[in-house]
Amino acid sequence: MKTFSFFRRGWHLTLLSALLLFVFLIPLLWMVSTALKSTSEIYSYPPKLISLSPDWTIWSQILTDPQISRFFVNSLVVSFGTTFTTLCLSIPCAYGLAHLPVKGKTLILGVSLSTLVFPAIMTATPLYIVFGKLGMLNTYPALILADTAISLPFAIVMLRPSFRSVPKELAEAAQIDGCGRWRAFWLIMLPLVVPGILTVGVFTFLAGWGDLLMSLTLTTDDAMMPVTAGLFKYIGNNVSQWNRVMALATLQSIPPLLLFMVAQRYVVSGLTEAAVKQ
Amino acid sequence: MLATEVTPAARRPKRARRTSVRLADAGNYLFVLPAVFFLAAFLIYPILYNIRLSFIDVKANELLSGSAAWVGLRNYQEIFQDPLARLAALNTFIFTIVSLIFQIVISMALALLYNQEFPGSRFMRSMYIAGWAIPVLVSGTMFKWLFDGDSGLVNYALKLIGICPNPLFWTADPNLALISTIIANIWLGIPFNLALIYASLQTIPRELYEAASIDGAKAWSKFFFITLPLIKPALLSTLILGMIYTIKQFELIWTMTQGGPLNSSQVVSTAAYTYVFSQFEFGHGAALLNLTALFLFGATLLYLRSIRREGAT
Repeated sequence: MKTFSFFRRGWHLTLLSALLLFVFLIPLLWMVSTALKSTSEIYSYPPKLISLSPDWTIWSQILTDPQISRFFVNSLVVSFGTTFTTLCLSIPCAYGLAHLPVKGKTLILGVSLSTLVFPAIMTATPLYIVFGKLGMLNTYPALILADTAISLPFAIVMLRPSFRSVPKELAEAAQIDGCGRWRAFWLIMLPLVVPGILTVGVFTFLAGWGDLLMSLTLTTDDAMMPVTAGLFKYIGNNVSQWNRVMALATLQSIPPLLLFMVAQRYVVSGLTEAAVKQ
Repeated sequence: MLATEVTPAARRPKRARRTSVRLADAGNYLFVLPAVFFLAAFLIYPILYNIRLSFIDVKANELLSGSAAWVGLRNYQEIFQDPLARLAALNTFIFTIVSLIFQIVISMALALLYNQEFPGSRFMRSMYIAGWAIPVLVSGTMFKWLFDGDSGLVNYALKLIGICPNPLFWTADPNLALISTIIANIWLGIPFNLALIYASLQTIPRELYEAASIDGAKAWSKFFFITLPLIKPALLSTLILGMIYTIKQFELIWTMTQGGPLNSSQVVSTAAYTYVFSQFEFGHGAALLNLTALFLFGATLLYLRSIRREGAT
């Protein structure tokens, strides 16, 4: 009787799923586990699954290293800057493409869609050359502009359907009542597409935070490097110190993982919608 | 009766309204134009610049002075003969095909599991997204460490189950470097593929399965005659998106091997980056990227046309 309800409620599937999830998460768990080991423990054989005496000195060194905090500040500035710029440009544009009588809609949408297909490296070389000529390498604006250029078409393509799902008569009615075009957009339409905006915001932030290509290409100065380029360089300088490397990798995974936990609903729905719409 | 009522006096406000409509139209463009200008300056212009780069002979000093000779298709001819570009094309092909096959099969199995109801199903399914949320660079670093020759977990596991007693130097071995990046890339793609396939499974009405059960259908025949045909369109779009994403993959490989050792794991994107930033062959890098973009663009167009045709019939 007991086993019957065990299978009927699906607990055997829970066990199977937990096992599979564990296997999938091994790389992540191993990263955290390594980050807590002392240097001698990393090379012990057989490898210890969990350190019995976590080596916190590495963490205190990393957390107090001014260079590493600088990496994090840079990443925060670039990610928030990219998210802000992307949202400011994409929200009105998506609204215009969804509801307003604008010529060239198909062209704008078509170009946005097709640039999604192009490799981001295509823009890396030209931007490196142009920003180099303008003396903008190793600056926040260069990184923010480059990251926004990558995120913007995606944001427009994602947000347009959100606006389309809101009847445009709402904004028109407000305008007849004497509300200005921008006020109607701001007060009536915007609040109704908040979930879509959050999804795009989370995606853009994650893309900005995780970007390595533009960071490697447009920054050479340690003081301006985001965490990704910082970690990349750190691996080169600390080849055999995997506990330090993993500590820095863990540290830079915390903001995206926190964001993912808080905004999980938007990420999951966004992931699926992104594909359906494209 | 209506016609008689339209007097010139009645027309005037109508005309005034028409011009105000035109003004309003201009106002509408204010919503769209900032983004359009931004894309033109920071996306379209760089892409066109890249196309121009592929037709000129650029060395770093000429790049600054702006005097570079037009060489027509020479860059394209040269990369067709260059072993690096050829190897990169072949590796990209292998990398993409093998990654996609395993990603789809594994994600399909997981999606079928999570499509069933059991305690904790929802929570555990969402945990996979963690692998997608962290930076690709971090995933690459994790796998580089897992594949470490001396102290890597993978070698330890292989020895433990007795498959391979001698340590393999995965990312440092020309025969294994590409394989290790493929394995990491399969892992990387599972969250996305799982989310998409799961979403398409959710659209299948449960009644279909119940009806099939009543008719005595087995699990396998249900899968092949109900599930697979119904999610085929979604599966195809997942495949196309995965293909685009995989062919574009740069950061994972750059983190794990930088295309090495001995170029054994170069794909088109890493090879283009090598051309530009270590060999300063801007034209070669640009030509290789343009060909890749052209391929991706063509494949996407073909796919879009095929769904449109299917939708029409």
